[in-house]
Amino acid sequence: MAKIDSSGSTMPSNFIDDLNYEKEDSGTCDSHNTSSFTLTDNIQHRRTSLVSQESEFEIEDFTYSDDDFEYDDDDGEAYDSMLTKPVKHSNKKELSEGAVPNLSYEILTTQDIFENMLARVDHLQPIFNMPREDILLLMQHYDWNEERLLENWTERMEELLVEIGVNQADAKPTDIKVTEDIDEKEISEIKKRGITFKEHFNCIICCEEKDTKTFSLECGHEYCIDCYRHYIEDKLHSGNVITCMDCSLALKNIDIDSIMGHNSSKKLMTSSIKSFVQKHNKNYKWCPYADCKCIVHLRDTSSLAEYTRLHYSPFVQCDAGHRFCFNCGFETHAPADCNVTSAWVKKARKESENLNWVMSHTKECPKCEVNIEKDGGCNHMKCSSCKYEFCWICEGDWAPHGKAFYQCTLYKNDENSKKTQSEELSKIMKKYTFYYRVFNEHEISAKLDWKLGQTIGSKVRALQEKMDISWIEGQFLTDSIKILNEGRTALKWSFPVAFYSDASHNLTKIFVDNQSLLSKAVEDLSELLQIKDPEEIMKNKLEFYNKSGYVENRMYALMECGRDLLCKGICKPKD
Amino acid sequence: MSSKRISKELRDIERDPPTSCSAGPVGDDLYHWQASIMGPPDSPYAGGVFFLSIHFPTDYPFKPPKIAFTTKIYHPNINANGNICLDILKDQWSPALTLSKVLLSICSLLTDANPDDPLVPEIAHIYKTDRPKYEATAREWTKKYAV
Repeated sequence: MAKIDSSGSTMPSNFIDDLNYEKEDSGTCDSHNTSSFTLTDNIQHRRTSLVSQESEFEIEDFTYSDDDFEYDDDDGEAYDSMLTKPVKHSNKKELSEGAVPNLSYEILTTQDIFENMLARVDHLQPIFNMPREDILLLMQHYDWNEERLLENWTERMEELLVEIGVNQADAKPTDIKVTEDIDEKEISEIKKRGITFKEHFNCIICCEEKDTKTFSLECGHEYCIDCYRHYIEDKLHSGNVITCMDCSLALKNIDIDSIMGHNSSKKLMTSSIKSFVQKHNKNYKWCPYADCKCIVHLRDTSSLAEYTRLHYSPFVQCDAGHRFCFNCGFETHAPADCNVTSAWVKKARKESENLNWVMSHTKECPKCEVNIEKDGGCNHMKCSSCKYEFCWICEGDWAPHGKAFYQCTLYKNDENSKKTQSEELSKIMKKYTFYYRVFNEHEISAKLDWKLGQTIGSKVRALQEKMDISWIEGQFLTDSIKILNEGRTALKWSFPVAFYSDASHNLTKIFVDNQSLLSKAVEDLSELLQIKDPEEIMKNKLEFYNKSGYVENRMYALMECGRDLLCKGICKPKD
Repeated sequence: MSSKRISKELRDIERDPPTSCSAGPVGDDLYHWQASIMGPPDSPYAGGVFFLSIHFPTDYPFKPPKIAFTTKIYHPNINANGNICLDILKDQWSPALTLSKVLLSICSLLTDANPDDPLVPEIAHIYKTDRPKYEATAREWTKKYAV
């Protein structure tokens, strides 16, 4: 079975320790602005340390094979490893070289899990020597926990069958005794499982007398089909075994389908599987994206501790392409780790009332004060009224942004005057407001970029038609927008890291510089993606490659730098 | 459909009332009943008459009736608002159950409390650790509120 390899990032954890972190070294894998960095030595160094790191982990046996794990700690996990489906995804560069153990997971749907369960039922059939439907009931009753079922089965087979409602308490299914206290009418006929048609049937549930179809199990508790339908409809979502309304005899899937019509039992099975997933939420996680039906199944959760220790995050990707953190369920939040993320989100929730004004989507042009709504991802704004070019984030003139570092993402720490406590507080608030604002701006931009991404298909098609190029050749556009999205997400989550970091520390300064570099790279790429003319796009194809490659490099550098801050305790999330 | 069933139950209860219980609609509203339970003789509630209010949901009998004590009672599974913690009134409800069966279950709950699944933990604690004290208090409450 294929494995998904989603360990840490480009650099092993110790790598940064080896570096002399002077400011000019900050761009560790910078391929563009070579002027201020000494590159070759660093890369050389990085390669050697990578090799040593990998071999070290092989010795420590951190690579897990699929057949290796047998759990005995928590019930129900042992047979997890039996659920198999080829893994389709392979994670990206950033997660492919490893200081942390491999993260092997598979993407399932409730249907997949159910089919696996059916396979287990087939497997159990020789042991139980019962119809599949009955074994399914047993499994469902035991929350698909095969081990516990088998344990109880060997101990008290007969009782179990009665308890679960496969057999009747007072009769074996083959010879049904009709006890005397049942109404006289019913003594005349031995009850069979199934639907019959009765004239003038008096149903004791709805108390109506009518000509109707009725249903009963071997127990003889017979009700009209409408009442049964109503009863079952309510129970389908619970996922529990549905029994006769008056005793514990269970309805099998065939019974449910014959009463409710085709495929109703499937609903019941789906809800049963859902509750199974819910109960095993250490190994199974629903994709948190709206309406996504994917379930990510991580077999071995022991490696998660290692991830946390090294401040990596176990990002996974579902079949629909949604990436999220298996640990905390948020979107990909590197360079922030789960702690920073949850602290930040909590804080944002708490403070958001004060900062509601930030959420407004319009800004006034700094020059002519006309209201401007931002409708594209790029932060390079040009007022349509006065033609003033400015930066959406800092509302300053755009001119210095193009060349120099992105000054507007730097928080200016003013340390001159002596402050009272209240001043200190308002300073913290101001600092937070600043970071919250930039975080938010990038979130909005990311959303707009995502919208842009939705139109990329038509752009590629336009290229195909007008420029006569192949579909595959046009994919550089799709790739670029993907990288832009990732870059922006990383940039966005770097602000919480910066917020919680000790601003006076040298490494924080390096981190902030890295932020500026990524910020510039992202804006450049975003601007490039605004081009609409197909001819122009093709002319700039090389630029697309260069810019997106650069964004990628800057992104990994920033992530690694952020992880370093976390590992060294310079960044400490607090409420 | 629910009204037919409720009328049937009313007829049955009138014809063959369950021991030490009575029940019937309040005014014209078939969906709102009042019931009374006599304190079981072998319990500290003996001698008391306890009133309950009953609301039938419109999709009765597929959903359980809502039942609460209106008389104050000292019991580990019944709280100060009169709410009752009883499985058949929640997830163990079945359309084949009837109000008279439920009232009988409540009667037996008065005789045998279920302190392991309490609604009022303080009372359950006393029930388990100092049974005479629990019985004394329950008798006191019965005398005070239900006689």
